[in-house]
Amino acid sequence: MSSTATLTPMETKPAEHATRTAVSVNRADKIFTLSRGKKLQALAEVDLEVREGEFVAIIGPSGCGKSTVLRLAAGLDRPTNGTVEIFGAAPHELATQHRLGVAFQEHALLPWASVRSNIALPYKVAGRKVDDARVDGLIELVGLKGFEKARPKQLSGGMRQRVSIARALALSPDLLLLDEPFGALDAVTRRRMNAELARIWGEEKITTILVTHDVDEALILADRVVVMTGRPGRVRTIKNVDFPRPRDAATTRSPEFHELVDELTSLLDANDGDAA
Amino acid sequence: MTRARSIGMGIVHLWPIALLLLSWDAWVVLNGYTSTVAPRPWFVIADVFTGFADYVPSILYTLGMALGGLVGGTLIGFVGAVLVWWSAALSGVVTPAALIIRSVPITALIPIIARIVGYGDPAVLASTMLICFFPAFVFTLSGLAAIPEAGRDLFTVLGANKLQVLSRLGVLYALPNLMVSVRITAPSAVLAAMLAEFLMGTSGLGALFSQARSYMDMERSWGTALVATVVSVLVFVGAQLMERRVESRLT
Repeated sequence: MSSTATLTPMETKPAEHATRTAVSVNRADKIFTLSRGKKLQALAEVDLEVREGEFVAIIGPSGCGKSTVLRLAAGLDRPTNGTVEIFGAAPHELATQHRLGVAFQEHALLPWASVRSNIALPYKVAGRKVDDARVDGLIELVGLKGFEKARPKQLSGGMRQRVSIARALALSPDLLLLDEPFGALDAVTRRRMNAELARIWGEEKITTILVTHDVDEALILADRVVVMTGRPGRVRTIKNVDFPRPRDAATTRSPEFHELVDELTSLLDANDGDAA
Repeated sequence: MTRARSIGMGIVHLWPIALLLLSWDAWVVLNGYTSTVAPRPWFVIADVFTGFADYVPSILYTLGMALGGLVGGTLIGFVGAVLVWWSAALSGVVTPAALIIRSVPITALIPIIARIVGYGDPAVLASTMLICFFPAFVFTLSGLAAIPEAGRDLFTVLGANKLQVLSRLGVLYALPNLMVSVRITAPSAVLAAMLAEFLMGTSGLGALFSQARSYMDMERSWGTALVATVVSVLVFVGAQLMERRVESRLT
């Protein structure tokens, strides 16, 4: 077993201890001003509540503003209208308190730093002593033992993404935001990474929002799946996913799983129709 | 075998120098120039080798001034760029000042510098720094401006303050750029040091050249030019090696 300290050692189901609201997005609009005064509405009246300890996946056609929702939650962007609160406060406060973990679409690893120092970066930025045992545990958790001293350019794409996920987990954040972290990977690696992420989440039970355009991925990982419409992005529907965990091959092969995949996929297709 | 071959290849690659020396000699001989007009290369080379002990103090002085000015000027340029990056208000002060200083011809500026900071070493050093600071300023600024969006976002969500963004991200992204500036300014640093020495210094290759000329010692003055060229090339090569090392370490 890895020596990783778990944030919440509870073995209970998320729903049972999910009393607090972690993320609350209320009627959020996001309008980007482009060149020559043109405006682009990315989000329209998005409502989203994520309870503490919950894993929520956001799916939608590309360009529907999924990532924008995540950027709002991370405090990287502000909504044009509406509000975003994280644990009852402004989103950037969570970052200031070093309680936020984000894995971006681009891994954003520091090219000059080793795997180990990249994962330890949040400690250094937070001005805390690096917890070597925790860093070792994370390296093991994401399966990069033996690569501690490697620099990002020596790693494969999948390995870089895993480093980026380990870095996001380093400080045992209260909120984890994943923006298509496996977007650039091939299908096989992607499935393996999904399984690993499910296992990591099972150990840490961190409130997580995952943005993806892969329906299977969303259903393997999430407690709830938010389906968004095409631009401007709105919440079309929210589906509860009740498959027991861990969701292994037996789950993904089941007819119920396929039924849900089909249902969600058709919702996405319908969105494309709306957008066109 | 391979060693002999690589030495052979090395010699073959020296052909431009051989060509230069031969055409230099031919130019002198065919025009019938006396040694006061233009000395033959062999006498110049002979002077460098036989009188090398006389050259050494000047080489060391010029090299010291050039490197000192290079490091100093690069640091000033770097700090200036960081200030500009840090605050728009400082940018309004530093950027025009840098541009104005850059636009004044250095040759005209040297006597003024000498008047202000004092003749001799300080003036040589100051002129060299003046030559080196602007490229460092520009290159650092472009390095800081090129911090990837994703890196910025990462540091924002990690709750980093501006100083951390600078020290853990900006500086390291700017360093390879700064090394480019060091490489391109290194030969100019030698040139600037020699120019300052030539105009008012009492030591260094520039002063040696000036003295040799006034004594009509043409082998010595051409020899100084030759040595200065070699020093310049070596400084450039050294800077290039450093640039590559930094580049491979940071990217």
